[in-house]
Amino acid sequence: MSEQTISVTLDRDARDMSLESEKIAMEVKDWNLYYGKKQALNGVNMVVPENCVTAFIGPSGCGKSTLLRCFNRMNDLIDIVSVEGEMTLHGDDIYSKAMDVAALRRRVGMVFQKPNPFPKSIYENVAYGLRLQGISNKEVLDETVEWALKGAGLWEEAKDRLNENALSMSGGQQQRLCIARAIAIKPEVLLLDEPTSALDPISTLAIEELIFELKKEFTILIVTHNMQQAARVSDYTAFMYMGELIEYTDTDSLFTNPQKKRTEDYITGRYG
Amino acid sequence: MERQEFKSHISNQLNKNLEGLFNQVLEMGGLVERQLEHVISAVQKGDVALAKEVIKLDKIINHQEMEIDRQCASVLARQQPAASDLRLIIMGIRIAIDLERMGDEAVKVAKLVIKMHSANLRCEVLPGYDALVALTVGGHAMLQKVLNAFARLELKEVSSIFADEEAMDNVFKDGIQIVNDSFKDSDLDAELLLEMVNALRASERVTDHSENIAESLIYLVKGRDIRNMDSEKLQDFLTQLD
Repeated sequence: MSEQTISVTLDRDARDMSLESEKIAMEVKDWNLYYGKKQALNGVNMVVPENCVTAFIGPSGCGKSTLLRCFNRMNDLIDIVSVEGEMTLHGDDIYSKAMDVAALRRRVGMVFQKPNPFPKSIYENVAYGLRLQGISNKEVLDETVEWALKGAGLWEEAKDRLNENALSMSGGQQQRLCIARAIAIKPEVLLLDEPTSALDPISTLAIEELIFELKKEFTILIVTHNMQQAARVSDYTAFMYMGELIEYTDTDSLFTNPQKKRTEDYITGRYG
Repeated sequence: MERQEFKSHISNQLNKNLEGLFNQVLEMGGLVERQLEHVISAVQKGDVALAKEVIKLDKIINHQEMEIDRQCASVLARQQPAASDLRLIIMGIRIAIDLERMGDEAVKVAKLVIKMHSANLRCEVLPGYDALVALTVGGHAMLQKVLNAFARLELKEVSSIFADEEAMDNVFKDGIQIVNDSFKDSDLDAELLLEMVNALRASERVTDHSENIAESLIYLVKGRDIRNMDSEKLQDFLTQLD
């Protein structure tokens, strides 16, 4: 074995996957959320590492989607929701009175469970956010639409049909279009809420591959019911149960040697 | 063997598969244990029938390794186990490899007994005989210890395996020295002396494989990979197991 091979192997062994060594994009401190009187999130503390994929797993009703929606204040749309604690995006207080929510959502984009393209052309779907920002320069729009569609792995399939209605695309294509629409405005963070649960296995793999590529440019948070998906795509995984963050560590450790019994029971499919 | 670990999955299929695999590893371990018992008797009593039995058992053991591989591949492909279940699969494969190799080593010692029998000689006349007895007895005891620990998924007994293995290393070195020294002036055929060297080495390898199984077991139970751990850290870690 050459010396070079040996050093490469050792480097891999010494791979340091720890939250302490990552740059931090978002931080959550003592976070509580209530739907009316009912507490849905309880004392959540975590950091979200930059340019990584962080997955949230846990049984239905554990609060993972609720927590995800806190990161771009989607819960503001629900009257009875109240929150306590601190949440920051690159140091900016997400919940401060001074925070412009529209601006926040430009910085923290979101893709939902069901693909929800607008009943417009493929091109206009991707250009939508840019137009809202007042960009009308055709050259800029063309360039960005191409960049976003390429980023979403859709360019080859869509480049010859940009003026066709987005609803004529397949489910998997529509979901990638929604990702293209989300990244077109170049957010810092991308929230994915069950992005593949309505898709077939092949489209799912395409999206997972895309997520892996996208983390080079964006910080990604994904909520998924599919544990294997979390294991496949994420760098870090958070296990939630009844509104609490039970265990949060690098994905390899969580799936091979979880430290909490509740995590072990959940990921091995045992009765809790 | 019934264990709670294999009753608590929501998927009864996974319960059954993991339990099946666990029992299969234990069964394979039991066969190797029997082989090593036979080796002890064959060496000490010059019992050639037992030595032949060791070779027969090896065929079954080889087959069992394949069966364990098949079961592990099936569970991985169908049920994507995680955490302790995943560790059981990975270690099932590893332990089966070690057991299979132990079987091969046992065959080497059995072949010495057969050769000696053909030459109308007892093993006692060979230089290094005491070391061979100590190694075969020690190797059997070590395997018993790790298999018991595996059956209970308990590590209390395991920590002593590492010291046992070191002691066996010394026995091996002494035995080899004795055989080496006797090459010049022994009346015995050099080929038989070489067979003895092989048998000593094979018996020593058996103890190495027991140590490997102990390492696998620690990974299985604790999720810690202790291979390549420096001796001071290892000692600390082992003390915590007691």
